[in-house]
Amino acid sequence: MTEQKPRDPGGLGGQSRRDFLRGSGVAAATAVLTGQAAGVLDEAQAAEESTKVLSGTVEITLKVNGQERSCEVEPRSTLLDTLRNRLDVTGPKRVCDRGSCGACSAIVDGELVYSCTTLAVSCQGKTIETLESFETGEGSVPHAFHQNDGLMCGYCTPGFVTACKAYLDKHPNATEEEIRKGIDGNICRCGTYVGVLAAAKAAAQAKKGA
Amino acid sequence: MKAFEYAAPTTVDAALKLLGGPNAAALAGGTDLLGRAKDYVTSPDRVVYVKEIKELGGITGDAKSGMTLGAATPLSEIVHHSGIREAYPALWQATSEIGSIQIRNMSTVGGNLLQRPRCWYFRAGFGLLGMKDGQSLVRAGDNRYHAIFQTDGDALFVSPSSLAVALIALDASAKVRGPKGERTVKVEELYRVPRREGESELTVEPGELLTHVMIPAAGKNGAYEARQKQAQDWPLVMSAVNLTMQGDTISKARVVIYGVAPIPWRSEAAERVLVGKKFSPEVAAEAGTAAVEAARPLSMNAYKVPMTRTVVKRALIRAVQGKGYWEEG
Amino acid sequence: MAEWPASPSVIGKRIPRLDGLLKASGKAKYPSDVHPKGLLFGAMLYSPHAHAKVKSIDTKTAEKLPGVKAVLVIAGPGTTLRYHGDDIAAVAAETEEQARDAIRAIKIEYDVLPHVVTEAQSMAEGAPEVFKGGNVKKGRGQTKGKPEDAMASAAATIEATYTVPMITHVCLETHGLTVGLEGEKKATAWASTQNVYGIAGDLAQALELDRGDVTVYTEFMGGGFGSKFNADVWGTTAAKLSKMAGGRPVKMFLDREQEHCAAGNRPSATAHIKMGADREGKIVSVIAEGHSTGGVGNGTNMILPYVYRGVPHYSVGQANALTNRGGSRAMRAPNHPQSCILTEAAVDDLAEKLGMDPLEFRLKNLDPGSPMTPIYQAEIPIGAELIGWREKRKPRGKTGTGPIRTGLGMALHTWGGGGNPGKQVSCTIHPDGSVDIKTATQDIGTGARTILAMIAAEILGLQPTEINSLIGNSSYPPGQPSGGSTTTPTMAPPCYDAVTKARDALFKKVASAFNNARPEDLSLKQGQLWAGGEPVASWKEACRKLGTSPISVTGEFVDGLSSTGVGGCQFAEVSVDLETGEVKVKKIVAIQDSGLILDLLTWESQVYGGVIMGLNYGLFEEVVMDPTSGRMLNPDMEWYKLAGASDIPEIVVRAYSPPDEKGRQVIGVGEPPTISTAAAIGNAVSNAIGVRVTEWPMSPRNVLNALATASREGRA
Ligand SMILES: Cc1cc2nc3c(=O)[nH]c(=O)nc-3n(C[C@H](O)[C@H](O)[C@H](O)COP(=O)(O)OP(=O)(O)OC[C@H]3O[C@@H](n4cnc5c(N)ncnc54)[C@H](O)[C@@H]3O)c2cc1C
Ligand code: SF4
Ligand code: FES
Ligand code: FES
Repeated sequence: MTEQKPRDPGGLGGQSRRDFLRGSGVAAATAVLTGQAAGVLDEAQAAEESTKVLSGTVEITLKVNGQERSCEVEPRSTLLDTLRNRLDVTGPKRVCDRGSCGACSAIVDGELVYSCTTLAVSCQGKTIETLESFETGEGSVPHAFHQNDGLMCGYCTPGFVTACKAYLDKHPNATEEEIRKGIDGNICRCGTYVGVLAAAKAAAQAKKGA
Repeated sequence: MKAFEYAAPTTVDAALKLLGGPNAAALAGGTDLLGRAKDYVTSPDRVVYVKEIKELGGITGDAKSGMTLGAATPLSEIVHHSGIREAYPALWQATSEIGSIQIRNMSTVGGNLLQRPRCWYFRAGFGLLGMKDGQSLVRAGDNRYHAIFQTDGDALFVSPSSLAVALIALDASAKVRGPKGERTVKVEELYRVPRREGESELTVEPGELLTHVMIPAAGKNGAYEARQKQAQDWPLVMSAVNLTMQGDTISKARVVIYGVAPIPWRSEAAERVLVGKKFSPEVAAEAGTAAVEAARPLSMNAYKVPMTRTVVKRALIRAVQGKGYWEEG
Repeated sequence: MAEWPASPSVIGKRIPRLDGLLKASGKAKYPSDVHPKGLLFGAMLYSPHAHAKVKSIDTKTAEKLPGVKAVLVIAGPGTTLRYHGDDIAAVAAETEEQARDAIRAIKIEYDVLPHVVTEAQSMAEGAPEVFKGGNVKKGRGQTKGKPEDAMASAAATIEATYTVPMITHVCLETHGLTVGLEGEKKATAWASTQNVYGIAGDLAQALELDRGDVTVYTEFMGGGFGSKFNADVWGTTAAKLSKMAGGRPVKMFLDREQEHCAAGNRPSATAHIKMGADREGKIVSVIAEGHSTGGVGNGTNMILPYVYRGVPHYSVGQANALTNRGGSRAMRAPNHPQSCILTEAAVDDLAEKLGMDPLEFRLKNLDPGSPMTPIYQAEIPIGAELIGWREKRKPRGKTGTGPIRTGLGMALHTWGGGGNPGKQVSCTIHPDGSVDIKTATQDIGTGARTILAMIAAEILGLQPTEINSLIGNSSYPPGQPSGGSTTTPTMAPPCYDAVTKARDALFKKVASAFNNARPEDLSLKQGQLWAGGEPVASWKEACRKLGTSPISVTGEFVDGLSSTGVGGCQFAEVSVDLETGEVKVKKIVAIQDSGLILDLLTWESQVYGGVIMGLNYGLFEEVVMDPTSGRMLNPDMEWYKLAGASDIPEIVVRAYSPPDEKGRQVIGVGEPPTISTAAAIGNAVSNAIGVRVTEWPMSPRNVLNALATASREGRA
């Protein structure tokens, strides 16, 4: 397949290192990147703003489910791959990897996002919640999924549980219609929606009762 | 996805400097850029994250004097903004139908306007025009989601931004800053029809940042879309309209259509039908019919012609009358 | 013959899955989640072309990239690649990013060959061949009676071409496994499979080990639907990469694109059907000519005229057109959904032509020789009542005047299912009262784990949560691959047998400890051991009497517990926007005959899930192939459309289980409820809009096209 370069470069000229990066294939680029282990480089241009330019492999700290977790990533590493491959937080699943199915859903700074389409480096300093941190007792969303059989193979389930929880936290009085819209960013292949909706309603009810 | 450098500046100036190098790309919500990068359709060497830039956030102004949206404002903020819902139902309706909660939480005004086409030939690496060995894959292939206007040209993809259609109907402008300074353009001027492979469909240059979108006070406006799924899906065809009324009579009309052309499609034919008339569902239907007169569908998308006719009609009825004849209950 | 208990205390109840909370809390570890020490990440390189020969392949650069531990060429120079997604090479590296970089650094020269990816291309005169020997393979044809003569004498006939597209399984967990070696002699794998027992053999063969040297775990797996029975090229490749990397475990899961392209599909089906009936509304003749493609694999075996086999005269011809696209695999009720759509559309159209209510027409034409007929006769009125057929249904096209029309449609289906002898389950009762049920089967989402525990609990008078239901391990007694709705009917009997025998052994051993009771005097219920009508000990106390030796029994298949053959019917209510072609399904009613229901909660989920998969088939799904480049254009979850929550209608499910002997035996329910939904939806759409939409799915495009064609021809 032909690979498309972004449009013609304009504006300021590039630095030699960038030229090298740009002109090289994957091989050379990767060699350079990993050659500079944990390369956190101060760009001359950005120095006045003290904006760090990250490249190669970088050590980052993420606040995941209430814990500070450090790991090595690349700037291109997604939050999902970082959670799963580096931090062994495997609740969120990789299914479409393109922001269309919701299996990777996580809550970042209180907002529901697709972690497959979020860079890990952009999450530094933010609060990351995955469903592993949710309450599981009576009245909780996971409990309601279990009791109402809102799952079959269960691979989409973490995403649905996360989306439901995020939605109900913000809309405790949601109608069924609204709940449906609230979880429309998630797809289940086994077809558990009937159980999922029953679970969401039960969890909402329990929340109100509590 | 190819490896890249990353920076997260907090000011527009710093961002512009970082974007100055070759092959740099702004990253906002990432819902478009990262998908393209994973498909190796776009492989930036540097990614500049713009969501930490405070100047690019927020919604200000009011219905009377107009409103301004920061380019890094998440779409969800538009959906939750009661002022927008009241003053610009076209924008509100279009935005609330985009993607899912997750998509709207992540993606931004600027990113939505400057996202690249979703054409499956483009996304498979065949370029924006979808040519192979001098032949148009689109014309010979599966073009069910492609254009029905200007199909004698080579650009057969459809412009992907729902937001653009609403904003153009609302006559909005965009502020763009680059190394050479700032310029303000109409939102419709952000788009053009590429004439050859390698030419972009966007007029914002590499190294430039879209910073704000300004929406003037609007007339009666609304949007309507047709799609296959009720849950997260792209519109097949969508239309946003904005009518300035003098008493009962339409004095100015803007009718813009999504899903029918490589640019957000302004239908002057429909507008001509409307101006000077008293609004009625019949006039709306006439405008819908006029809107598709110049349509020349491809081999597999003739269905978009009746669909467009209806969608324009319904957007007009919704804008003026609120509830439509097609709604149950 | 064995028999299920007449008044069960656990069986038939609504029991939440034993592993449900693990799944709902994100703590269940799927094969794609495990992270054994030293894990490497694998990636596959696959063909971007529909048909090409590998001229040369150079992995040198890739091998030298940082982090890369092993590179394996699968398709060396001279190999023919036959579809977009065909396997070429694989890499294992320290990080997933590195593995993907290495894949892209492999340099390949292709001889791109001409391809065929559509049925039309495949069947064209002089078309390029997918394999030597021609693209078109005649399928099973059948003739009964004198169809042409009967057709000529029919009072009413219809003739149309109906089309159903190819779809894919879209398992949310893609195909793959994680596999590592310890030393030269032992391998461990975590596989996303429907066949944990069989995959151990595949891997052993690839590694030249004995089957027993390979242990495969499938504690959880993210969907199979018929496509995950083998280790596949990528699985054995991962094992080889691990071997090359000194045994370090390798995780290899397909990306979504390759999953769509290479990991199976349900073949398309097109049939030109003529159908004729006499004045009384009896179908007298069916003449069908069909073709389909399953890529490089089998096409649809069209079973026409499906459940209406009592028709006196019919002839069916069919052909499989090979195409350059990944091969088909079994998918939830193979061949039935297509056969159901093709037949039920024609039946509906013929009823319409005769001016008959399609429900009455179906009743009239049930096969008098079929054991399903009384079942349909009982089910149809129940479904009709629940959907409101009598009050709501209007003749086709007479559905009002506004732009939004509602319509009703129905369809019938049948399936075999049933159990097979040969598999085993072991039951161990430990002196501390814990009970282990073990078998090398797996729970693919059907609730198999819970059902085994329920059976044991029923027999032992315990709660299902008190049973350790141990499955998903290839070293356990051989269990059933999950296919053909056979898991439950195949595994329930040996489970019953093992637990019953273990219980009897327990009685024998401990009876004397309780007032010198005889074993026959003992029984188990409510967590107690009973002797002669009195509770004498708790379960735990009873087991303690075993001293230090547990009871361990292996059970075999026994007759009398499972059965086969079900019939079902479904009804759909839809609303269609005539101006935009948008279809909304408002309600589905599914009446399903399925024998003895073990867990009502998961049984219902299976039926809902089947209906929803059928709804996807009816409204959204299709593989789109590009004729020029030969690529699949929608190998994603964005343009390959699947329902979300807002697309789900009200679904009413009813079990039809009459209290005859069949109603007392287990029959699987994985597949039947997915068969007739799409057909019922298509029929409802036609009822609503007044014209037949001959092409599935019921997309706005297909609906508007049908309306446009009809209005061109002056029909609407
Ligand atoms: C499943 C799905 C369904 C969707 N449905 C719809 C839909 O119905 N309608 C619709 O309109 N969209 C839809 N989208 C697209 C989505 O809305 C866009 O991807 C999103 O709006 C892009 O915004 P972003 O902030 O994520 O952009 P990014 O992906 O971060 O950026 C997009 C592009 O804009 C550039 N860019 C971003 N911000 C700036 C800036 N301030 N200045 C200059 N350049 C900038 C980037 O470099 C990049 O090229 C859908 C997406 C998905 C995945
Ligand atoms: S049970 Fe059926 S769906 Fe499942 S695997 Fe099989 S053939 Fe297929
Ligand atoms: S994996 Fe992230 S949305 Fe599908
Ligand atoms: S439970 Fe299997 S995909 Fe949802």
